Amino acid sequence: MPESEPRLIRGYLEVLAAQLPGPIVEELADGLTETHRSYLSRGLSADAAAEAAVAEFGPAEEILAGFARVNPARRAARRLLGFGPVVGGCWAAALATSRAWPGSLPTRVGLGLALVSCIGLLAVAALDRRYRVAFYSGVAGCVGFAALDASLIVGVLVVAGVASWVTAVAMAFSSARIALCARAAAAAQQNT
Amino acid sequence: MLLATLEGGPRHGYAVIEALRQSTGGRLDLPTGTIYPALRRLEQAGLITGSWSVVAGRRRREYRLTPAGDRALSGRRADWRDFSAIVTSALENTGLENAACPSPNPA
Repeated sequence: MPESEPRLIRGYLEVLAAQLPGPIVEELADGLTETHRSYLSRGLSADAAAEAAVAEFGPAEEILAGFARVNPARRAARRLLGFGPVVGGCWAAALATSRAWPGSLPTRVGLGLALVSCIGLLAVAALDRRYRVAFYSGVAGCVGFAALDASLIVGVLVVAGVASWVTAVAMAFSSARIALCARAAAAAQQNT
Repeated sequence: MLLATLEGGPRHGYAVIEALRQSTGGRLDLPTGTIYPALRRLEQAGLITGSWSVVAGRRRREYRLTPAGDRALSGRRADWRDFSAIVTSALENTGLENAACPSPNPA
């Protein structure tokens, strides 16, 4: 928005820019400029046109809530949280039946903490209404889960050398989750 | 309804809301800002696709229907016509039955 635009519109866009990614704010700024121009062409003063344009756009909180609902990171987090117990259950069965818990005790504790952290990040992404917080938590959670799945596959297959049908199923689910994480990351990139 | 506004060709967000107002004679007047998340949702569903251009020094995002969006629009139009016909038929027939069989007078 150029310097000559009224302060009201600038302030409104600043509220949106504090939460939303740059390209989304650019799109909203273009729409707000068009709305402002439309009121100017009807004979309103610059300030009155700005007031009318902001009123027509609606409360900034409503727009932020609308974008929070379509945040790709939020959707991905909900899917991964739903899928998580299935993958976790498969790995628990695979490791319990093969007795091939990878690494030393501190490594296992570290993996457990990493798992809890990833679940926490995805829970924040799934529930937090702030776009940026949900977005970055979701991306971090996806990267964390992809890294955990890759570590489990490598650890069990290569290091422990275990390959039963139960571990094969668990690895297939983990691979599917890695693909889901990659797809979510690509969708997030496309929508920002 | 948003899909229908894009049937005639690509539009940006403000043009979509203007088209919606015109097509409904101003009776449907949503807050303009709420259109943008709705357009993103349709884009995520693969029904429309967005692309950037530069107009008067500003970046502008325009949306167009995808083939899937075109099919979805046709399907939803057909569904709405069926639904509308059923409701109209039910309301009109109920009215005729009431006229033909007036309720008995308690007196």
